[in-house]
Amino acid sequence: MKYRPYALLAELTYICPLHCPYCSNPVHYPHGEELATDEWKRVFAEAAQLGVLHLGLSGGEPLARRDLVELVAAAREAEIYTNLITSAIGLDRKRLVDLQNAGLDSIQISFQADEASLADTLAGARVHQRKLEAARLVRETGLPLSLNVVLHRRNIDQLEKIIALAENLDAIRLELANVQYYGWGYLNKNELLPTREQVQTAAATASAAKARLAGRMELVYVLPDYYEARPKPCMQGWGRRYLTVNPVGNVLPCPNATSIENLTFENVRKQSLAFIWHESDSFNRFRGTDWMPLPCRECPQREIDFGGCRCQAALLTGDASATDPVCEFSPHRDVVDRLLSSVAHESGHSNGLIARGNP
Amino acid sequence: MSRVDLNCRPVLAAYVRLKTDPVSGDPILVFPEGVMILNATAHAILVLCDGHATGHDILTALSTQFEVDEPTLRSDVVECVADLVQRNLIILKS
Repeated sequence: MKYRPYALLAELTYICPLHCPYCSNPVHYPHGEELATDEWKRVFAEAAQLGVLHLGLSGGEPLARRDLVELVAAAREAEIYTNLITSAIGLDRKRLVDLQNAGLDSIQISFQADEASLADTLAGARVHQRKLEAARLVRETGLPLSLNVVLHRRNIDQLEKIIALAENLDAIRLELANVQYYGWGYLNKNELLPTREQVQTAAATASAAKARLAGRMELVYVLPDYYEARPKPCMQGWGRRYLTVNPVGNVLPCPNATSIENLTFENVRKQSLAFIWHESDSFNRFRGTDWMPLPCRECPQREIDFGGCRCQAALLTGDASATDPVCEFSPHRDVVDRLLSSVAHESGHSNGLIARGNP
Repeated sequence: MSRVDLNCRPVLAAYVRLKTDPVSGDPILVFPEGVMILNATAHAILVLCDGHATGHDILTALSTQFEVDEPTLRSDVVECVADLVQRNLIILKS
C-alpha cells in the first residue's frame, strides 16, 4: 500500500474565544452543521482502520465542544494517540482530570507572546493569565505540555523571553513557528511579516537555546518560508501521510486546502474515509510526482520537498499545480521577493490588524 | 552527538509509546507530535532502554544480536539515543 495516513487532524469546531490575526482557519467558513459526537466517533474508528495512529484535536477551540471527553475516549478506544491542541481557555481542573481519565496523551497550548499586554492585544481577549494558570494545572496532572508560539514582526524580538516562559512552565517542547502566510495571515501580511534582520536574529537565538536546552526541552524553530530558498516539504507530500477533517466533515489533504479554488472535497457524511483517502479527486490531484510541472519534474529534490506547498502556489501564482514560488528555481520567485521588499519598506508603519472572526 | 554518556540509563519518556504498527508490522514510536517508523537497529536499542540498563549494558546486549564491529554499534547507539534525547523522547537517568 503506497499511501497510508499516519495522522489525522480533527478540527472539531470553528468557534474560538480568541481572534488571532494569523489564525489557520479559513477566512470564509464553509456552510454546514458541525459533525455530531457519533459522527466523529465513526470518523476516528474509520481512521484507525486506515492506519491512523495519531490524532490532533484542534479547532477553533476544541474545548468549546462539550463532548470533548467522550471524543478522547473514543480515540483511545480506537488505540489512537491523542494530542489536544488548544488555547487552554476553558481548561479547568475538572475538565483536565476528565480528559486525562478518558485517555488524553498530551496537550499543546498556544501562547501569543511572553507577557499579557502584547499577548492579549494579539488574541483580542484577556487570556494570557488564564493560559498561565491552565499550563501549570497541566503540569500538576503530569500530562506532557507543549507550547506553541506563532512568531511574527510584533513578538519575534521577544524570543528569549518566550523561551524563558516555556522553561518556567516546564514544557517538554516549544514550537516556534513563524506565521504561515495564507488566509488570515496573508490578509495581515504587511503587519506581520518580520524583516530579514529579525528572522536572522531569532534563528540565532533559537539555535543557541536549542543546544542549551537539549535533554530538557525540545525546541523547534520554523522559518517564515518566504525567507528560504527552497520550499518546505508541505504535509510530507499531498495525500501521503496526513489528513484533516474539518468541523463540517469535509476531508482535506491539508488544513488549508479549501483555499484552493477548483478543488472540491468529499464529506464523511456521504463517503467513507477509506474511499476519500484512496479514490477522491482531491486526494489524488497532487499525489506522487506525475502532476509536477518543470522545474519540479526533473528536480533531484522532488521526493524531498514534493514541490512545496500547493496552497502557496495557488495563492501567489493563481495555479495550484505550479512550483511553490518560494523555490529559487520557480519562475514566480519574483512574486515572493516583491512581497519581502515591500515589508522592508513598510515595517514601522502600522495600519492595524484584521482580527479573526467567528462563523 | 557524542554527549551521550554510556554510563547513563536511558528510558523512553512516559508519554512515548513503542508499538508495532498494526498495518505494516514495523516497530514505531508514537509521541505528542507524531509517529516515527523505526529500523531494526533503533528498535533493538529502544527495547533495551528500560531505565535500568546503562548505555554499556545496551551495547553488550546488542553485540550478541548484531554482527557489527564495536565502533559501528557504539556510534549507532549513541546517535540513536542522542537524537531522541534532543527530541525529549528519551530521558537519561544517572
